[in-house]
Amino acid sequence: MSMMEYLAYAAFGLYLFLIVAGGLAAVLSKNLIRSLVGLIMTLFGVAGMYFLMSAPFIALMQILIYVGAVSVLIFFAIMLTRAPGGESGIEGSTPKALKRGLLALATALMPAVILGAIIIRKTPETLPLKPETALTVLGEFLTGPFALSFELISVVLFVAMAGAVLLGFERRKSE
Amino acid sequence: MMSQLLSYLSLPLVHLILSLVVILAFLGVNGIVLIYVERKVAGFIQRRPGPYEVGPWGLLQPLADALKLLSKQLVTPMGADKILFWAAPILSFAPVVICFMPMPVSPMFTGMEMNLGLILILAFTSLNVLALCLAGWSSNNKYSLLGAARAVSQSVAYEIPLLITVLAIAFQTGSLNLSEIVASQTKGIWSWNIFVQPIAFIIYIIAVTAETNRAPFDLPEAESELTAGFHTEYAGMHFGLFFLAEYSYMIVVCAVATVLFLGGWHGPFLSGPFWFILKTYALILVLMWFRWTFPRVRFDQLLNICWKWLIPLSLINLVLTALLVKIVR
Repeated sequence: MSMMEYLAYAAFGLYLFLIVAGGLAAVLSKNLIRSLVGLIMTLFGVAGMYFLMSAPFIALMQILIYVGAVSVLIFFAIMLTRAPGGESGIEGSTPKALKRGLLALATALMPAVILGAIIIRKTPETLPLKPETALTVLGEFLTGPFALSFELISVVLFVAMAGAVLLGFERRKSE
Repeated sequence: MMSQLLSYLSLPLVHLILSLVVILAFLGVNGIVLIYVERKVAGFIQRRPGPYEVGPWGLLQPLADALKLLSKQLVTPMGADKILFWAAPILSFAPVVICFMPMPVSPMFTGMEMNLGLILILAFTSLNVLALCLAGWSSNNKYSLLGAARAVSQSVAYEIPLLITVLAIAFQTGSLNLSEIVASQTKGIWSWNIFVQPIAFIIYIIAVTAETNRAPFDLPEAESELTAGFHTEYAGMHFGLFFLAEYSYMIVVCAVATVLFLGGWHGPFLSGPFWFILKTYALILVLMWFRWTFPRVRFDQLLNICWKWLIPLSLINLVLTALLVKIVR
């Protein structure tokens, strides 16, 4: 194994740790902002995974849009709704809370167990890493075979924006 | 011996680490130089001498300041979120280092040749606002929180015209690789994008002034309204890191402007890294000139400039560029 291969494994481990630790932090912390930081960690880990799969464009878009814009908007929403302490309504270790926690754990583990069983049964072949797809090819795919889904996404965005503008105007009228 | 060293240098990993070290050293020196330059420029514009006590012409003043910052105690305010309070300055400075990796200072000095260099820089500069938010929120101080809220609404707004104008340049070149964008501006001064796309250049400069929180758009840290905004509670090297990050972001955006609009390392004569650095620092002087010339805008004015002027203008510019590119090709 060459040096770069070792590094790739190390990077994989690091990203995996970021994803799992971020997810746990997002779920377990009682403070909304800390949860958000956990979410950001997970998003970073996923972006790193995209890099490892030689899809740098998607990785950078993940950082630009999810980390740079969406999580900042979530932060803004938290600040505007005035949840400074962000205490969520979790009671201590009552039996009810324990039961709830166990149920949550079971729900979270179920897909992992099923998927893990399938992967252990039928180990997929390791495919050689494909070279980086050129941006022009990606663009042609988006406007060619995937044009319909691409346009549908833009319709969703348009509806969201139109709704926001409409709500803003209605509020101004009522004032 | 020498040839063996050179062969080590061509290893990608060694190259990467070496460029990171060079960038870090450069950013440190740059911070110190810019502090001195900013004070001297401010003094010159306001008709006062600026720093002149420490060393000849006050040259050692920034070093003394750096020593003071390094030796100060790091204080965490009561009721602050400790982890986030400590993490915020680091999160503010760390992404800048990556932003320099794809910068084509000259054909020889490029940290990492990358097809998506432009997007890499945009993605990692957008992380700064996150650090400001965390700093403002975790300080447990109303001024900090207000500064953070201002930073968010400002940078979310100004990121849009910034991205759209950069997109227009990318349309024109047909590439996001910074080296290729420089290579498209080699045919003399008139082929530089500042003359091809003057509107884009103006929008870019205004938008980055707001993105780097410089006056007249320094509302997140407006000292006469918010004490010091998001970094009110920070002292010592915590504050130093924020300061270093601010100056580093300044040089990142000016270097990107040099690449996108001013022909990178090409000059009228003797092309080379010398020109790149000269243009970058000239742009930084322009930003400082802005700071000491224009009064701070009000917050509604700030958002109006962006939403009512810059975004429509940049959209028109983008559509026109796309049309012209389609006709020419």
